[in-house]
Amino acid sequence: GACRVSMSMREIRAGFTAIKTNIQSRDPIRTLSILSHPHSLHKVKSSDRCCITYQLFTFYVDKVFKHCRTEDLFVNRKISSIANSFLSTRRKLGQCREHNNCVCGEESTEKFKQILANYEGLNVTSAAMKSLGELDILLDWMEKSR
Amino acid sequence: GILGGDALLPAPQSISILSTNMKHFLTWSPVIVQGATVRYSVEFQGEYEREYANGSWIPISECSLTTATICNLTEDISASVAYKLRVRAELGATRSQWGTTKGFFNRAMTSLTPPQLRAVADGHHLLVELADMGPSFQFRVLYWRKGQESRRYSRQGQECSPPAWHWDVPRVGGRAAHRAQAGCSECLLPAGSLRGFAALSFAG
Repeated sequence: GACRVSMSMREIRAGFTAIKTNIQSRDPIRTLSILSHPHSLHKVKSSDRCCITYQLFTFYVDKVFKHCRTEDLFVNRKISSIANSFLSTRRKLGQCREHNNCVCGEESTEKFKQILANYEGLNVTSAAMKSLGELDILLDWMEKSR
Repeated sequence: GILGGDALLPAPQSISILSTNMKHFLTWSPVIVQGATVRYSVEFQGEYEREYANGSWIPISECSLTTATICNLTEDISASVAYKLRVRAELGATRSQWGTTKGFFNRAMTSLTPPQLRAVADGHHLLVELADMGPSFQFRVLYWRKGQESRRYSRQGQECSPPAWHWDVPRVGGRAAHRAQAGCSECLLPAGSLRGFAALSFAG
């Protein structure tokens, strides 16, 4: 189902851009992707977008941000800003998901399982840093599918 | 040292947040120690830190070991969730207890001031110039013929990127009056009404 949720995409994008190089430099494994392996997010059917977006926001809130603390104060502040924006947006997505009864189709359930498998295939800090470094993949996909 | 023996440094008092047009500042009363310069450090905690990061606090480097009694939080309060702020005094190696804001702060609580509005007649059109209030803001401009407030025309737009926003508003014949309202997507009232109202009567 469709979910129109207001979110401060510009602020999230600005926060991520400010730390992208720093975060991606902490990810030595360039041959692997958490979000795009084996298939890109762009293959997700439009009817499943609401559900998988909610799952991805939950993934980042529950699993990723907490393992991304660094020794750099500026980076930590930006991660906090992104994490709190994700938390706020996920709450709205959750309300919309219940209201619209967004059901995940088989394909997107499989896609999300693959993302979790990619994540669990690495040690937690590397997996979290790689996932955070791929945030623009998620943001690009969300903006294209608006 | 100045404080002598085990004398404690008192925690800052009267800690409050001033938030206007989505610009947020923490202020507190100075801690006075005769003949000494007291410094302060500020930290923030968002809902994410409370719920998912063991209640951790994040220092604001621009407000670490500062002598000022005000700290700009705007960059860090960048999500619509509940935040807590704390500040402590420092004098040499001595540190006070943290003074923490009472309750939580959400940026949706920001107060809005009327937008700065300027209208210029341009032949058959009026150019309405609105000062930029930042990326989160939308504007609504109402205009009508002088004395005919019941027949109002309205314009609304998304955020404005240029420093000032020129709206080409067709004249309504004779003398016109304007009113502009600003609101921001993150601080709309539940009823969706906009807040902050500027009135400008313009006899063009």
